[in-house]
Amino acid sequence: MTRLSIVLLAALMFSAMYLVKVQYESRQLVMQIERARAEARTLATQRRQLEVEKRAQATSLRVERLAHDKLAMRPVTPAITEYVTPGAARPAPAGSRP
Amino acid sequence: MKSIRYTSSPLLASRTPVWRSKFIVAGLAVAFLGLTGRAAYVQVFGNAFFQKQGDQRVLRTLELPASRGRIFDRNGLLLASSVVAPSIWAIPEDVKADQGELRQLAKLLNMPLKDLQHKLGEEDRSFVWIKRQVDQSVAQQIADLKIAGVHQRKEYKRVYPEGEAAAHVIGFTDVENKGLEGVERSFDRRLAGREGSRRVIKDRLGRVVEEVGEEVPPVDGQDIQLSIDSKIQFFAYQKVRDAVVAHKAKSGSVVVLDSVTGEVLALANYPSYAPDDRRHLSGAQLRNIALTDTFEPGSVMKPITVATALELGRVTPQTLINTSPGSYQLDRYTVRDTHNYGTLTVEGVIQKSSNIGALKIAQRLSPKEMWNVYTALGYGRKPELDFPGAATGRLRPWKSWKPVEQATMAYGYGLSGSLFQMVHSYTALAHDGTVIPATLLRSTEGQPAAGMRVFSAKTASDVRKMLHLVTGPGGTGQLAQTVGYSVGGKTGTARKQQGKGYAAHKYRAWFVGIAPIEQPRIIVGVMVDEPSNGTYFGGTVAAPVFSDVVQQTLRIKGVPPDMAVKPEILTQKVEESF
Repeated sequence: MTRLSIVLLAALMFSAMYLVKVQYESRQLVMQIERARAEARTLATQRRQLEVEKRAQATSLRVERLAHDKLAMRPVTPAITEYVTPGAARPAPAGSRP
Repeated sequence: MKSIRYTSSPLLASRTPVWRSKFIVAGLAVAFLGLTGRAAYVQVFGNAFFQKQGDQRVLRTLELPASRGRIFDRNGLLLASSVVAPSIWAIPEDVKADQGELRQLAKLLNMPLKDLQHKLGEEDRSFVWIKRQVDQSVAQQIADLKIAGVHQRKEYKRVYPEGEAAAHVIGFTDVENKGLEGVERSFDRRLAGREGSRRVIKDRLGRVVEEVGEEVPPVDGQDIQLSIDSKIQFFAYQKVRDAVVAHKAKSGSVVVLDSVTGEVLALANYPSYAPDDRRHLSGAQLRNIALTDTFEPGSVMKPITVATALELGRVTPQTLINTSPGSYQLDRYTVRDTHNYGTLTVEGVIQKSSNIGALKIAQRLSPKEMWNVYTALGYGRKPELDFPGAATGRLRPWKSWKPVEQATMAYGYGLSGSLFQMVHSYTALAHDGTVIPATLLRSTEGQPAAGMRVFSAKTASDVRKMLHLVTGPGGTGQLAQTVGYSVGGKTGTARKQQGKGYAAHKYRAWFVGIAPIEQPRIIVGVMVDEPSNGTYFGGTVAAPVFSDVVQQTLRIKGVPPDMAVKPEILTQKVEESF
């Protein structure tokens, strides 16, 4: 009887210690997940920010201004466009109906 | 060593009274009872209180922020998005900063030092916003100052890359990210997300160590794709802005509508505002004039009157109408044309924009017939457009029309509508006789919209030909012509209403037209309010803007020209070799 008690006590002690260890490990893992989640959120917001910045660099206003001022470009008109019909043997003359 | 023999100690030799041991035992028993009672109190009776106190120290509810949906144009380009913009707050009595630090902080926040000191001077308040929604880089610099008592809260701010060009369509939100104007407001429910939350246990260092219970996940707002094309929107804005400045006008608007799908491709007004800059978000510039300001459509109504008469078989395009001698007496009123045009065909009435001609055509119609068509075209009704504050305009019930009113309505007076309503009513002419619903959301590619038939396809085509004549030789809208594309439209010029009458030198000029005229793709309306630089006619002020906008829109949409153009490029014939 005494021997059984000692074995059970040892088992109980082991189980208790193991519980503490598992609890500790689980908390460590939760912390890691938290950290990873926070990083994911930061990266997602950064991505949004960068998307906005990229778009701000390519707004019609900016493109128009740069094309006009820096590259001396002008808007396209049908008069300076050659329209090509896909599959046609020869390109249609400028300005004509495809 | 001699040991003490306790048993023989004389102290022990005396007999201990029994009550003493009993007293001790009783004392211990009472103490244990006390402990048991306390345990029972803590664990049973006062449990809720202690549980709460314990939870307060370790349990935290974390808000899971939901991001507001983004707004895209029809090509997937960003029109509005949320970015992180921390807000700076402080607990005034905790703030310990010397003058130099405060000066630095004020400089970073771009606010006078006095204001900052005033805000921090309110000692009795335990919380004060110093500045909401600052740039992230600025917030980082403020964090680096490490001033005690100054804190940051993560918030989101809307940014609008297209700025003032699309401001009236997209609108803006308030500091709490609630839509206040434009699409931001009308689609607020779809754009706004729902915040989530979760309960966690945090350790001494503030790290999350355990999750408790169910997590309520955040629901992000939906992204919205508009029918707006940001390039067309930009051109339209640019052109109307230039026109308003050149003609020293008060304001101007442009509406571009896809006549096949009913999508709004551009809707621009000038003066506009920068939706990012909260300081200027008030005043008249916020008004979306194209949708909220109503005025008498004037000559723009003539093609509709003519179409009604054609549809009912009361006239043909070649029916002759006598408009001489250029004035017409109706009860006490005299209706005038700018010249005596003599006898005109119905086509000529539109081309010359004869009031008397339109009036005489309307006399062959009943008020009810006219009212039915006007109503079907959207006059006097709120546009079925998801947009806040769209005006209804005015169209009185036909039973109350007097003959003189019926006559003036034939050429666009006595009823009112917004520029948008006028543009929309022309879908009946551009879409082969059916009025199609207008939308701000992108519809499925290549799906022509189903609409309600008002005119036959033949009537619509006949009236389009008349509109084309307006922009041809002898017409009032020749400046609306473009290179390569056939256009047709109607000019309008009117004295502005002031009180009960009309103002002496205040005019409004507009042009509503269709292009290309044979197979329409777009309807464009341009309105310039109070042009005051010498010229004020729709044909000279609004038509050139129409021309520019049509030219650019059709190019951007890749519509091949339908008229022969004299090419300006020289194609070199080069022998190809392999």
